Amino acid sequence: MNSIIKLNIMQFSLIYLLLIIILAIMKKSKINQMKFLIVASLRMTVQLVLAGFILTYVFKKPHPLFVILYLIAMIIFSIGRVLSKNREINRNFKIAISLSLALSGLFILAYFVLVVVGESFFNPQYTIPLAGMIIGNSMTGVTLGMKTFTENLKSQRNRIDALLNLGVEPKKILLPFVNSALETALLPTMNNMIGMGIISLPGMMTGQILSGTEPTTAIMYQIAIMIAICTSVCLTVFCALNFGYRTLYNERNQIHF
Amino acid sequence: MPNVILETKKLSFLNNIHYQDIQILKDKVNFIVGSSGAGKSTLLRLFNGMLTPSGGEIFYNGQRLTQIDTIELRKEISLISQSVYLFDSSIRDNFRQFYEYRGMEVPSEEYMSKFLRMCQIQFPFDKDCTTMSGGERQRVYTAIFLSFLPKVIMLDEPTSALDKENSKKVIQNIVDFCKEKEISIIIVSHDNQIVDTFAENIIRIGEEGDNE
Repeated sequence: MNSIIKLNIMQFSLIYLLLIIILAIMKKSKINQMKFLIVASLRMTVQLVLAGFILTYVFKKPHPLFVILYLIAMIIFSIGRVLSKNREINRNFKIAISLSLALSGLFILAYFVLVVVGESFFNPQYTIPLAGMIIGNSMTGVTLGMKTFTENLKSQRNRIDALLNLGVEPKKILLPFVNSALETALLPTMNNMIGMGIISLPGMMTGQILSGTEPTTAIMYQIAIMIAICTSVCLTVFCALNFGYRTLYNERNQIHF
Repeated sequence: MPNVILETKKLSFLNNIHYQDIQILKDKVNFIVGSSGAGKSTLLRLFNGMLTPSGGEIFYNGQRLTQIDTIELRKEISLISQSVYLFDSSIRDNFRQFYEYRGMEVPSEEYMSKFLRMCQIQFPFDKDCTTMSGGERQRVYTAIFLSFLPKVIMLDEPTSALDKENSKKVIQNIVDFCKEKEISIIIVSHDNQIVDTFAENIIRIGEEGDNE
């Protein structure tokens, strides 16, 4: 196996030329998101360069504290992202989401690193990239789940009121909303699994193959991470919604959202 | 001395609706009238515990409403609100879903059709509720709620989507049925003709304020 060709800055900058194609298409199609594309590309560049420097440093001087700090930062950032899209929900619901995201992600990560790979949890080479994939996907899943959940609640206010007026328990009324939001949140990950290997060579596997890993090893890691991601998404959304929906009604069985 | 089933004392809601003391008579046809925004619908929602008063008390059969489990309360005091909800399926399936939510056996077709007829619905059970008019949906909804046989039935503007002829027939049928089953009725209505025809007890809300 050859090891990867290192890109020099000139070669690397050539990839940015592709953005011109997007800008041209946006202009032609009158999509008013050119500024957003530029900001997004710049932010991605700055964030990844920073991450690169930090990771280089952490890999050179591996210390449990760095791993812990990196994980905490990741979790706080992902919680912040989810909550910023759900500003109107109550405080306890926010706590339920935050704890579900943090604990489910850490649990799946620990299982992957400690049990499956058999490495130390504080080995940054494994823990940090795997945490990024697991927590990042859980964040997307819980955002999608919450969006579905709150949109359905709002659009079906009459259904909720009718059932309450009939003397149905809030739990019985809200659970179908919880279940359908969970289903919606899981579908993208499962669809991704269906197409994998045929339609797409997934990111992590591509990365490993580019850097010279045997494809068979890369495939095993990819399968493992996909199952870990799917489980983490499922667990996070399930816990967030199942603890969360209980905060929507009081002891007088009135539902507020 | 008339038998009172619901009674309020110094009841208020959110400091902008203050009710005079109200008595709802048992097994009678009680009408609540008053200008819009006076708090008629709010009063119904206070009666079934969908809202909590900010001041004063409500008594149901002499017991403080706050001491009664709201789920049991809503099974006894049934509110048929103006915002109708039916599942996007047939009449039969709507009965089935509402009964399943209440954890009860789905009733026989004979039983269902008795209530549908009462509300002037003559469609087959397989009729899709999504293709019905607003008035028809309101009557199917009313039929389903009545079929649970509550002790008090509260109808919020039950004739708002009906023509005069239908309105009178439906209310007449409901009143006859409730008399037979000893169900107390509370109706919020703007329709003076309906009020004059059926009212046994009229409660006027918010009119003291209007005279000032």
